[in-house]
Amino acid sequence: MPKHEVVVVGAGLAGQRAALAAVEAGKDVALISKLHPLRSHSGAAQGGINAAVGAEDSVETHIYDTVKGSDYLGDQDAIEFFCQRAGPTVIEMEHFGTVFSRADDGSLARRAFGGGAFPRTIYAADRTGLALLQALWERLGTEDFTLYEEWDVTNFVVREGRVQGLVGFDRRRGTFDEIAAPAVVVATGPFGRIYGRTTNAHSCTGDGTAAAYAAGAQLKDLEFVQFHPTALLESGILITEGARGEGGILKNAQGERFMARYAPHVLELASRDVVSRAIVTEVAQGRGFTGPYGGYVHLELMHLGRERVESRLQEIVDFSRHFAGIDPVTQPIPVYPAQHYMMGGIGTTIQGATNIPGLFAAGEAACVSIHGANRLGGNSLLETLVFGKEAGAAAAAYVDRAPAPAMRETDLEAATGPIRIWSARTEGEDPSALRAEMQAVMERYVGIYRNEADLLEGLKRIRALKKRFQFVRVVDRSSVYNLNVSDAVETGHMLELAEVIVVGAYARTESRGAHSRTDYPKRDDAHWMKHTIATRTPNGPALTYAPVAYTRWEPKERVY
Amino acid sequence: MPEATIPAEFEVYRFDPAKDRAPRYQRYSLDLAPHTPVLSALLRIRAEQDPTLTLRYSCRSAICGSCAMQVNSKSRLACETQIGPEMERHGTIVVEPMRNQPVLRDLVVDQAPFWQQYEGIEPHLILDPQHPMPEGRATSMTPAQVERFKETPRCIACAACYSACPAVSADPGFPGPMALAKLYRFVVDPRDTAARARLVRIQPNGLWLCLRCHLCTEACPKDVRPSERIRDLKELAIAEQGGTENGSRHAVGFKENIRDRGLLSEMKIVRQTSGVLGLASQAGQGIRIWRKKPEILKRPPPIEGLDELEKIYEALDTPPKEGS
Repeated sequence: MPKHEVVVVGAGLAGQRAALAAVEAGKDVALISKLHPLRSHSGAAQGGINAAVGAEDSVETHIYDTVKGSDYLGDQDAIEFFCQRAGPTVIEMEHFGTVFSRADDGSLARRAFGGGAFPRTIYAADRTGLALLQALWERLGTEDFTLYEEWDVTNFVVREGRVQGLVGFDRRRGTFDEIAAPAVVVATGPFGRIYGRTTNAHSCTGDGTAAAYAAGAQLKDLEFVQFHPTALLESGILITEGARGEGGILKNAQGERFMARYAPHVLELASRDVVSRAIVTEVAQGRGFTGPYGGYVHLELMHLGRERVESRLQEIVDFSRHFAGIDPVTQPIPVYPAQHYMMGGIGTTIQGATNIPGLFAAGEAACVSIHGANRLGGNSLLETLVFGKEAGAAAAAYVDRAPAPAMRETDLEAATGPIRIWSARTEGEDPSALRAEMQAVMERYVGIYRNEADLLEGLKRIRALKKRFQFVRVVDRSSVYNLNVSDAVETGHMLELAEVIVVGAYARTESRGAHSRTDYPKRDDAHWMKHTIATRTPNGPALTYAPVAYTRWEPKERVY
Repeated sequence: MPEATIPAEFEVYRFDPAKDRAPRYQRYSLDLAPHTPVLSALLRIRAEQDPTLTLRYSCRSAICGSCAMQVNSKSRLACETQIGPEMERHGTIVVEPMRNQPVLRDLVVDQAPFWQQYEGIEPHLILDPQHPMPEGRATSMTPAQVERFKETPRCIACAACYSACPAVSADPGFPGPMALAKLYRFVVDPRDTAARARLVRIQPNGLWLCLRCHLCTEACPKDVRPSERIRDLKELAIAEQGGTENGSRHAVGFKENIRDRGLLSEMKIVRQTSGVLGLASQAGQGIRIWRKKPEILKRPPPIEGLDELEKIYEALDTPPKEGS
């Protein structure tokens, strides 16, 4: 059985940064990923990475904007820690080789993003995630570590109150294997594929989050789901906030720049939750366009001119042309919100520690929490790097005082038992069908606007799907690259997480950030200024609550 | 109002080494809107008809590089290829795994050779301890310097170029278009201190094996134009150390040769490319040509308008202004 000191699960920016930190601490590190690391979803991040490096800007303002953007649910100590490291983190990535866009004076170019007081989003055209991912992978490639490529992680083994290792599925060889390790860092990113319309990649199924939850890890604030205002209509493909940062405007079917009604001061550059609700409201009240894929509004870039659009928003031009048949230089882009980001995740400290000794988490899979109820654009790439590094270093330090891991023969059997049953069945449901139904349920009942009746119905339906999942069948029997096994594992993972989202959303009788209850339209600081903590039980998630960390910023009404 | 659909016919390469002795093509039919991407169609086949159909995919927006495959014999990203034009042009959509990489199963190939070539060019900044990065701040780099990368930072490592490349098929030692475009990206990086060493190393290690067919540029979904970056590398390599290989000596010789008279002196170009010994080794062929074409021994007379040609050369030798 392979054995390592630190195993990082997920090889996007957070996982790679964690691996680099652990390697630099002298540890024997393994990196496990479903995809080749360069294919990670971090590479799809377009707009940029925030750092208050401009002369007019300050770390203090970045902290305040993030606290306000979080609708006061972000932990202020964590946000301070986070923003203070923004500048050095961006500079480190530049030194690793990232090709950032530049201003005429040779400095890092910056653009405006929603919810930011100053232009502080540093970018590489509209492919900042890809630029960072390449540079980090190429830097990590100079170090010594073991890569387990195209592995699904199915279970974390926790015994005697601490992590002993994990069980995964090697797609290429078609085998389930154990890896022993005293420290595991979960960096498997989001689980946007719970929703039907999402900007997330197909691989974003929350495997690490679900496996951690099953092993007893606490999940925090899962009901806060960010919907990005501008996604392409049919496919849900992301059109970066940078498009509005560069001057793009939103118009309804009456040709009206409707954001004036919702955010009179900053218009299109209000926070994402605000803009998404505005678009949904416009369409619901009959002022949107209609087409075969539902209602929508227009994102216009035409007035910016060909040169600016084609040089700064090159990928957007390609996306629009290939995936919507639209030339944004001359035509408006039809857009509607789509699920985009999970503010919640595995609850961690600033150093990435979870409630289970030896289990660490970072990036979108984790919830520190710096995003609170709503994440600001440009803060997620920064989060992956700042907290990936912390978690990797903390895991390495933990190894020095942890007992040697002790996996057992029975761990593998226990982990793979259900999958062997699925594969032996001659009848049963295909995981794809269950996945599609789950996506429709979450879309319909647990979307941008929520209410008690919908959430109850949603919960009933997700629980019915969980029951049906027990009778899932894996049709493919091949031992080589059996994606049908991955389909089933992923679907099971997502159903668990979907349930936590609905239960948390049902319980939270207020509206805060991305969580909008039409039956409780106001933020309720007296009762709900607290984090939701979900722990798995055989009957579903048990909820408790934890206080928000305050330092200096008193909650105020959030106006843009 | 649902969108109008067309009947789409797929013929998909199927091969499972665990049970098949040979690959086969499986037909699937479904009605789809013409702008449906091939990837969406394949995922619908997986969900509705055949969950055993195996392929790599993730982002479905041409940024992760997972779903490169052969669609009607062209190396493409499945997510970016719409079924309408394919049906119109070919009447069917034949989907096969990428070339130049062994098939693992169905549309999934073993990319190890591709990644090894990528790693072989040392794809990371090489720094000189004498010239450390600026402490506590970003390196200064002008927009014009960023322009020098051309489109290489857009590469998503999908390997469509590697699949399309006949030089890779002929010689697995050829680094392939992606690795060479990546090498170019590091050679022009003002932070990298090993540009010269990189060029000196690549000259005898595959740079001149490129056939200049431009199929990689045709295949590249991100407009990296690898064949043009290979051309750029060749120019930089010659500027750095002149011709050291048959390929670069031929290029240098050709340029001088034409400049001299406006016509190619065939004897001279062989000598320039292969040296005197090389010329001798090709004597047999030379004699055969000489029997049919005795003028090859003579220097060609200067062409009319040689001064005009000289002006072209001078213009080409003048470096373009930054940013233009």
